[in-house]
Amino acid sequence: MSMSFNLAWRLFRHEARRGELTIILLAIVLSVGAVLSLSLFSERLQGALKSRSAAFIAADAQLRSDKPIDETWFDKARDEGLSTAKQVTTRSMAFNGDEMTSVDLRAVNTTYPLKGKVNITDQPFGEKQAANLLPEPGHVWVQSRLFQTLGLAIGDAIEIGDGIFVVSKVLVDIPDAGFSIFSTDPIVLMNLDDLDKTAVTGPGSRVRYVGFFAGEPDVVENFNNWLLPQLNDDLHSWRTIEDDESAIGASVARAERYFLLASLLAIVLAAVSIAVAAQRYAQRHFDPVAIMKTLGATAKTIRKIYLIQILLITALGISIGLVIGFIGQQIVVQLVADSVDVTLDVWHWRPVIIAVATGATCALLFSLYPLLQLFSVPPLRVLRKDISASMRSKSIQFIASGGAIFFLMWMYSQDLKISAILFFSGAVLVAGLLGATFLLIAVGRRLGSGSMGPWQLAWARIKRRAMDNSVQLISFSVTIMLLLVVLVMRNDMVSQWRSQLPEGTPNYFLINITPDIKPSLDRHFKDNGITINEFYPVIRGRFVSVNGEGVNTEVSKEDDANREGRRGLGREANLTWSNVLQKENEVVEGIWHGTANANYSEGRFPVSVEAEVAKRLEIKLNDMLTFNVGSEIVETKVTSIRKVNWQTMQPNFFFVIHPEAMASFKPTFITSFHLPTEQKSELTALLKPFGSITMFDVDARINQLREIVDQVSVAVEFILVLVLLAGTLVLVAQVQASMDERRQEIAILRTLGAKGALIRQSVIFEFVIIGSVAGFMAALANELSLYMLQTSVFKMKASLHFEYWAIAPTVGAIVVGLLGAMGCWRLLTLNTSQMLRKMV
Amino acid sequence: MIKANSVIKVVDTSEGSLQILRPISFEVKSGESIAIIGASGSGKSTLLGLLAGLDEVTEGEIFLDGEALHTMNEEQRAILRGQKVGFIFQSFMLVQSLTALENVMLPAEIAGLNNPKALAMDILENVGLKHRAHHFPNQLSGGEQQRVAIARAFITSPKILFADEPTGNLDAKNSDKIESLLFEMNKEKGTTLVLVTHDNTLAEHCDRQLTMNAGELVETTKTQAQETKEAV
Repeated sequence: MSMSFNLAWRLFRHEARRGELTIILLAIVLSVGAVLSLSLFSERLQGALKSRSAAFIAADAQLRSDKPIDETWFDKARDEGLSTAKQVTTRSMAFNGDEMTSVDLRAVNTTYPLKGKVNITDQPFGEKQAANLLPEPGHVWVQSRLFQTLGLAIGDAIEIGDGIFVVSKVLVDIPDAGFSIFSTDPIVLMNLDDLDKTAVTGPGSRVRYVGFFAGEPDVVENFNNWLLPQLNDDLHSWRTIEDDESAIGASVARAERYFLLASLLAIVLAAVSIAVAAQRYAQRHFDPVAIMKTLGATAKTIRKIYLIQILLITALGISIGLVIGFIGQQIVVQLVADSVDVTLDVWHWRPVIIAVATGATCALLFSLYPLLQLFSVPPLRVLRKDISASMRSKSIQFIASGGAIFFLMWMYSQDLKISAILFFSGAVLVAGLLGATFLLIAVGRRLGSGSMGPWQLAWARIKRRAMDNSVQLISFSVTIMLLLVVLVMRNDMVSQWRSQLPEGTPNYFLINITPDIKPSLDRHFKDNGITINEFYPVIRGRFVSVNGEGVNTEVSKEDDANREGRRGLGREANLTWSNVLQKENEVVEGIWHGTANANYSEGRFPVSVEAEVAKRLEIKLNDMLTFNVGSEIVETKVTSIRKVNWQTMQPNFFFVIHPEAMASFKPTFITSFHLPTEQKSELTALLKPFGSITMFDVDARINQLREIVDQVSVAVEFILVLVLLAGTLVLVAQVQASMDERRQEIAILRTLGAKGALIRQSVIFEFVIIGSVAGFMAALANELSLYMLQTSVFKMKASLHFEYWAIAPTVGAIVVGLLGAMGCWRLLTLNTSQMLRKMV
Repeated sequence: MIKANSVIKVVDTSEGSLQILRPISFEVKSGESIAIIGASGSGKSTLLGLLAGLDEVTEGEIFLDGEALHTMNEEQRAILRGQKVGFIFQSFMLVQSLTALENVMLPAEIAGLNNPKALAMDILENVGLKHRAHHFPNQLSGGEQQRVAIARAFITSPKILFADEPTGNLDAKNSDKIESLLFEMNKEKGTTLVLVTHDNTLAEHCDRQLTMNAGELVETTKTQAQETKEAV
């Protein structure tokens, strides 16, 4: 062992010092550095985004239940080290003398909220401030609107159920208030100990019990795994920020997938560069192996020497890579610290482990085939230079490299689908490229004949080095494709995020607009230079039957578990009517009743049902739905099912009925408008003439949402830059590796008297040809991967990107050509005898 | 020391099998030096590769110091080479990333000899390159590289030395130096020498010349040197 180690160490030391290991070392450093910086940065960013997003559910996870939550579950969570909080929610009536209104009652214990803040103020519509405590027993905090509706002042008492409470603060918002514009009732926050006094949670009432849990992600997950078998799907639902279907939840989930994708691609890039470098490394060692074998070294000795050397190289590469990766991400974090809230105080081990595992796996598995080749070099090579490795089968290489990439992707992402998609499109690309290479060679055979100009020389070289070039073409294409995927994905994602909240998104909603004040309101706003969006007529109606079969109109905790008959909405629905399909609504089944060819008969008016609610209530196309509006019955027939984008800030409806059906009803209207935040102070004056109208202020929510989207976008851009950088370095490594092989040929051409310009141009043309073909192939493969990624991973609309079909080959030709020119320029600065000497 | 009986070498090519060596038989005595000469492509290097155990015979027998080379696998041949054989090549075949000293140490380390560094230094001194011990091959001239190669070949005191065109890459002056060094050390160590060469002067220095033509051993002649030796 010591002889092998001594020899390996000696070779390693000298080769490292002489720069012979630079390329393979650089590849490992690059892979470890890129993976570490990307995953460390994204882990930190995700941590920051998650804790921010967690505020919107007031915890890391929520357990919602229609029955009281088993106390032992909270005990178990606390035993595991999680913090817990409780909330009981119900709708009830609040009274102040003769005035009464429906309220959204939230009774919470003292640990609430685990994440985010409860905001309060001393005056209705006053400046908010974070509350450190919660309402004391006997006290409640209520939202500004309730002060309007019930004519309250601070210190007044209100009745809720059987209890009487002092209103001690104005509640501005609670973290988990939700985004629904139709959660129309003002929130009343009370101490959980007071809930029994109200007696509002008795039989027949609709109560939701919420358990909040917060702690380390793996502890939360373990707790969830423990809890899962005990949950009843009909009663319980477990929610984390990832399950959040709001715009924030979706953005964060998508951003996470993007980071994951970017990191996976960094791994693949690293793997490609290591594969190139390992191949080169092995080829350089054919002679030393033949010499050592000739001098009596056995196969076992050779194996030991080179395995030790690869381990030494890997260890050095990983160490340098870790340092560079850490410094790199630290620089990025410093750069974005102003615009992105990144947690700096937590050290994450996962990225370090991933980076080390990536470097080691790539270095060892990608060196496997080149090393096996190296071991098989016969000693006879000392007499006959043309004899190289005796291994001919490339299948080991494909299996080892493909397997390594897939294994790394799968291990890292824990997501078979995203790994399979990337892997499959990569495989298709490789197959396509092999075909393209042979086509190229066939074309080149024609173009390459004739007098010896730089183009002819370039083609002749491509033709002659068919196999080497196909490997190079494949690695260039894979690199360019991965860069394209990351770039296009980022563009599509950021633009779709931004389109959710374009400038001028309504930030205030008005409800309870009666038909008689609608015209004056419209005029008043116009006079003040504020554009009011569409007015939607709304009427409250009870959904009572499907095809004559009655549905449960109330859901209480008693009948919930043993429900009989069809499931109903469990509350009154907001019905609207229109012939115009709303924005971001898409008919997925049937025909929209506003279109000319849609007709109806039998006195049943068409209704369009939202897809999710249709699924939940088992409503199908052509079902007959009956609504009870006041004392009237409205008979309808389902003519279309709509998919609704709930992430838009606009009123959305479960049921949209044909206007004729509702002609006899007197609706109220709902509308929205945009008012810049800085003009907020004008609101009170603006609404003064319309006392009966209720206003919802979602400005703060929209700003918060926009801030998150902006932060995520900035972060995504930095990750894009990192991946671009990694990709460029890979290209440089590839060109450098191939330059090494070209040295001999250039030396011969120089010796034969070829001018520097001819050699330089021919090399540049060769790289231009390879770069443009690689770019084109990458653009094609990019479309395939993006289609699969967008439709099945990111749940986005897939789109074609024709511009890249031109951009990719052009940029590929320019960048690869330039890199070729740079590499070639270095070789041409050496004089011929220096080059010839290096060949020996 | 070396015995070849009806050695045949056939290789597979894309156009079918090609017989490179016709049945060849000869014997080399211990301490004898022979030169294999002939035109390019006559099979000289192939024969050298077979005799040195770098390649396998298709048919026939080769005995090296009494050991049946033709029955051994590559591992066994490697061990035998390490113990009994030294090599010198036309293109020097030094490991580029090792210094002159380390190149010379290499066979001694592989063979597990004690104190390979001291041995290597001694022998480098013998070839006049002690002062260049820590230089890498690309920092040495062709003649110096071949002297390092000679030092490497002799460090394990092999019983047999194979040399493939040892002066082929050198100018006349360096050729002479290498030639005299090679024969001096050969004489000093009592090594059996088999060399392939185009260089008549070099061939004349050997005891016998085997002439190859199209894969056949056509002539075995005593050299003048040998005749003089015998006359004395």
